[in-house]
Amino acid sequence: MTRIACLWVPDLPLCAAVRAEPRLLGAPLAVVQAGDLGGRAHVLGATPLAEGVEAGQTLAEARAVCPALVHRQASPERERAAAQAALEAATAVSPRCEEAAPGLVYLDADGLSRLFGDDRGVARALVVAAERVGLRAAVGVAAGKSVALLAARAASPDLTFEPTPQGVAGGAFRVVAPEEQAAFLAGLPLLALDLPDELQQTLRRFGLHTLGEVSRLPPGPLAARLGPEGALLWRLAKGDDVSALAPRPPPVRFEEGEELEWDAQSIEPLLFVWKALLDRLAQRLRARGLMAREILLRLRLADGSWDDRAVDLAAPSREVGPLLQLLRLLVEGRPPAAGVTAVRLCAMPIAEVLDQLPLFGPRGASPVQLAAAVARLSALMGPERVGQPVAPDRWAPFAAEVTRFAPPPPPGVPEAPPAAQLELVARALRPPRTAEVRCDEAGRPLLVIGEGALGGRVVASAGPWRTVAEWWTDAPVALDSYDLEVAGGLLLRASRELSSGAWWIEAVYD
Amino acid sequence: MTLPARRLPKDPRALEDLLRTGQVRRAPALFPRAPRPLSTGIEKLDAALGGGLARGQLHEIVAPAGAGGTALLHAALGATTRAGELCALIDPSDAFDPRRRGIDLRRLLWARPLDPVQALRAAEIALEARFALVALDLAGSGPKAARPRGVIEVVRFEKKLSSPGASPWARLARRAEKHGGALLVLGRAAQAGTFASATIELERGPTLWDGPPGAPGRLLRGVRAISAVARHKRMPPSGPLPLHLPLEAP
Repeated sequence: MTRIACLWVPDLPLCAAVRAEPRLLGAPLAVVQAGDLGGRAHVLGATPLAEGVEAGQTLAEARAVCPALVHRQASPERERAAAQAALEAATAVSPRCEEAAPGLVYLDADGLSRLFGDDRGVARALVVAAERVGLRAAVGVAAGKSVALLAARAASPDLTFEPTPQGVAGGAFRVVAPEEQAAFLAGLPLLALDLPDELQQTLRRFGLHTLGEVSRLPPGPLAARLGPEGALLWRLAKGDDVSALAPRPPPVRFEEGEELEWDAQSIEPLLFVWKALLDRLAQRLRARGLMAREILLRLRLADGSWDDRAVDLAAPSREVGPLLQLLRLLVEGRPPAAGVTAVRLCAMPIAEVLDQLPLFGPRGASPVQLAAAVARLSALMGPERVGQPVAPDRWAPFAAEVTRFAPPPPPGVPEAPPAAQLELVARALRPPRTAEVRCDEAGRPLLVIGEGALGGRVVASAGPWRTVAEWWTDAPVALDSYDLEVAGGLLLRASRELSSGAWWIEAVYD
Repeated sequence: MTLPARRLPKDPRALEDLLRTGQVRRAPALFPRAPRPLSTGIEKLDAALGGGLARGQLHEIVAPAGAGGTALLHAALGATTRAGELCALIDPSDAFDPRRRGIDLRRLLWARPLDPVQALRAAEIALEARFALVALDLAGSGPKAARPRGVIEVVRFEKKLSSPGASPWARLARRAEKHGGALLVLGRAAQAGTFASATIELERGPTLWDGPPGAPGRLLRGVRAISAVARHKRMPPSGPLPLHLPLEAP
């Protein structure tokens, strides 16, 4: 028989607020939704400490009931992240998950007995997975989606508010065994269902108050009187599932967001926000055994536009400290054009990469340290001046470029240092220095007058070697090159451009 | 011969005599064996340095232009990268040519600071990231050696680059010691002073040409140089070590 589990996060706005600021759990807290067009703010949810405060009250009414009330504005960014975290918690237990609504996830609980034991084990694993990402969830397990949701709702009175470093814990679960399903449904009040008010009133007029009473009616006349909704209600009361599970692939990115109550103009307030977001992202990645290979930073600016940036990590990581430093360097190097009103961080996940310490030899640079070092150097001198050196694929004397620094993994056992051949090296001068060169009748250089110490009487020379290249491009190269030794011992590589006759010093041998 | 401590002479001069003649030796170090030093790529220089460039120490190469200081720096980078370790080259002169053979470029981070002060900060960052060898090339931007006679120098009045001063060397030496990387500084004049654990000096020898002067096809074949470990904290100064630096065809 099919077993379906339902993970439901009641009071999602409240859980999202507590998850973002776990320290608020010790205070009477309410999450309020600002009214449209300057209307009154009304309460969406409140913690048990806020005695007397109920959903639907205005903020003024709630404050009158509970003077010490602390309130937070509902944040779509927070709720979005909390809903995604709930989906990930479900995905950590079963790969076949369906997100029916924000904070409501169904999953296939078949075949999980080897991992978690019976249905109670699956339900307990779901509660723990949700708590690991800072959410308090009600879990129901039954034969179908509808009954599983009703079971989760039946468990919700057992929920408690328990502070944890990640957010809020205190989840509860209810398992409806196949043989208990009829009895479970028969005792459920119709108020437990999300029925339209009109249908609720009609059923009340009929004298129907529980699902058991509905299930005892003949389906035909009920459908004739109440329409398709009546037929659906009868099937639900009998325990027939009205829809099948439609699993979707797990999310390819992990997102956390936060909206600010003011426009952040400097980096310090953003650092606090990023730290909290990265903590939660790292928690979620750790729960799934993943790491971030890339971090996307989205800043919503005061003018409503989004400023998108990417932190391309040299190696996968989920260490908050270095990632925070990378974000700081990224934004310090190019501050946003306006104040920041909301922040969203997206982590592109990759399978966990463990940093293996070497058995022989000293510990080298870890991938995270490398990524942080490259970012710090880029912030210091510009990204175009840091990286792995490469020679461009064109003929240009002493041309050089940099590419992304991504070294291969170190060898397991350190290799014996190979013997190197000591060779004279040409130190490139970028750009080449112009020089005045006096030559004899045969065209041999006699005197070099260059910048600084790059000059002198020529005591020995070799050349010329003619080079004609890149004639197929807009920047053809045609020059005669010489090796010159000038008084004082300096060895120069000098070239004369054939078209203009201008001399350059391209390199110094050392 | 090992004497009990109580029987050692109290006169420092007598003790020095015993040490000098080898009758008394230092006790072996009790701390764990130091990690394998990094090779410079030149065996005789490694031997003169007591095995190579010690990790966690600052080393200095002092060489006039054309004496092969850059060649020595690149040889050390080549030996270290080919041994599978990561290196950083801090190159404020932007003088590195990636076409050079012998260095595993995949393991080399090349940073081109805009001035010497940035270069010192970049070296500090690289040491903190635990690169095995951080090469700081100040040959084109550090203090210049005494100018040889007969050189014509054209002076241009340009903005003077900021000077790092003396204090950074203490900080860099501490960073190298703390994070275990070797720092190799190339300059035309000695800069790190007593913060350098070893100073390698190079002296220019004759230039080698192939072919008679003025003849077509004449080639620059390389130079000869003399190297020596002029100062080492744990080793005696070495004798002159002749080096042959052939020129690879550009």
